[in-house]
Amino acid sequence: MIWLTWRQHRKQAFFTLLGFAALAALMVPIGLSMRHSFADLGLADCARQLADTNVAAATRDTCDAGFRRFTNRYGSLNLVAVLLLTLPVLVGLFWGAPLVAREVEHGTHRFVWTQGVGRTRWALVKFGLVGSAVVVLAVGYGLGMSWWVEPLTQAAHEGRLGMVVFDLQGVVPIGYTLFAVALGVFAGTVWKRMLPAMGITLAGFIGVRAAVEVLARPHYQPARTQTFPIEGDGPLEVSRGDWILTQGVRNPDGTMIAEDTRIQCPPGGKGPDGRACGAELGIEPGAYNWQLYQPADRFWLFQGIETGIFVALALLLLYLAVRRVRRIA
Amino acid sequence: MDMVLEADRLGKRYGSTWALRDCSLHVPAGRIAALVGPNGAGKSTLLHLAVGLLKPDAGAIRVFGRSPYGDTEGLADIGFVAQDTPLYRDFTAAELVIAGGKLNRRWDGALARTRLAQLGIPPDRPVGKLSGGQRAQVALALALAKQPRLLLLDEPVASLDPLARREFLQSLMGSVADSGTTVLLSSHLLADLERVCDYLIVLNAAQVQLAGTVDDLVAGHRQLVGPRHDGGAIGGVAAVVRASHTDRQSTLLVQTDGPITDPAWAVREIGLEDVVLAYLADGVTQTSHSEWGVPA
Repeated sequence: MIWLTWRQHRKQAFFTLLGFAALAALMVPIGLSMRHSFADLGLADCARQLADTNVAAATRDTCDAGFRRFTNRYGSLNLVAVLLLTLPVLVGLFWGAPLVAREVEHGTHRFVWTQGVGRTRWALVKFGLVGSAVVVLAVGYGLGMSWWVEPLTQAAHEGRLGMVVFDLQGVVPIGYTLFAVALGVFAGTVWKRMLPAMGITLAGFIGVRAAVEVLARPHYQPARTQTFPIEGDGPLEVSRGDWILTQGVRNPDGTMIAEDTRIQCPPGGKGPDGRACGAELGIEPGAYNWQLYQPADRFWLFQGIETGIFVALALLLLYLAVRRVRRIA
Repeated sequence: MDMVLEADRLGKRYGSTWALRDCSLHVPAGRIAALVGPNGAGKSTLLHLAVGLLKPDAGAIRVFGRSPYGDTEGLADIGFVAQDTPLYRDFTAAELVIAGGKLNRRWDGALARTRLAQLGIPPDRPVGKLSGGQRAQVALALALAKQPRLLLLDEPVASLDPLARREFLQSLMGSVADSGTTVLLSSHLLADLERVCDYLIVLNAAQVQLAGTVDDLVAGHRQLVGPRHDGGAIGGVAAVVRASHTDRQSTLLVQTDGPITDPAWAVREIGLEDVVLAYLADGVTQTSHSEWGVPA
């Protein structure tokens, strides 16, 4: 079985590795130059200092300027990062979906399942080997991306918990990739043709990922709230690295008067029409800025929870796929 | 007599359509059995049930006394070549022989290699690039290397030209003659198999129409020509399979259970092909006027 699996997939494995090598050849130099600039601008120190709550205003200014320069130069790479998000689903499409669907489409399941190896064993060995190879690939991808995206993440306010960067690094790529492959395998046992199986995999993956990301992830742990005064004259006080879920301006009785925004007024400041600063919003004395957020130090906890969800889904799908394989003729 | 394959009121359904229904038959050991029927008669379904690819929805099928579905150990005794001889097309014949060795505990790789060498099959070309006849030979060699006690072949010659058909069947006969392997092979054309088989099963519209040894079937059917027949009993006739009438004369194809002595009837022997056709013509074609929206 192992020999057969290797013989069947060696070409595909070769091209996958080639693809990853090409990608690495492209990304490593970019990553190195990005890290080089990051160090040159002294941003590594900044990141450490800004993590403290009480930072001298001067440090904050210079650091913010440095981050801005860095972001101006490399910010467009965030788009590249978005492109890299598609890698797990590509693995699912090209490794998962054809695993059973291709055999059935070519009729070779009738050859291989009528040899002395039962099809349950066939399925377990195949899913196991392809699954392990995929995990190795995903670990490499997760580590590589953690390294590559670190400077970009540190330069961004929302840090590692941000929507795209969270999905790129750490251990979640393992969960996503396993899930994509398992979904592909399962779709192949239901639709039994490669193209429909691939289509369903793509749609299903995007659907589940979006649902988990938007609906479930913000609630892995009870979110915290934080308030900031409206009056102040320094630069805006921000919590770096936190994942802000909602924010707005609230009156002292708690009513939200301006959603998705933050305001700051100099002490005693007046608007152009002579009224008190913020009067046009209906601010009453004692109003404050409010935010609901997940703190930055929950990164690994969230990574663990999200990976667990997707690995569990993957195992469920593989179990169902093995059961379905027994019914295909 | 030893039975290799027994089906008892076997049924298999796809959705609401029965592909095989109330199918009872048996294949005695050592026979070369032909499974004949038009396309869609349920031949492939029956073979898939026999090799355990499908699970029966009704009744039971037993191969060497075991139920084949989900029975991995039983698979060792069955060689199966599916329709259109599916093989991994990017594998070479030599690699397929290796693969077979990895997938089977009992495996005679030398036998397969010798066979393929005798047939002039190149060992190092992907089988997808071989001719249909060569590919069928590779599939057969792989099935034979399992040293099966029962060999199931699903339409093995359907896609071959007449010359390749003959070669394929000859090489099949040559290799099973000594080993005593029971063979069940299907075709929609009896002519393909008539020369090699000694047992016949006719399947039509999901049901077994006829089963028995070729000798018995030929000996047990006669064509009668005589005066117009009104359906009354004729001595020595068990059943009228098919009748055609003119104004004054009837031609009957009958199943006999004794000598036909009535002098009014001229008795003729008939060939196997005519017997089979008489049973197949029995199947009713279901019209689909309403689906087409045309008047009946």
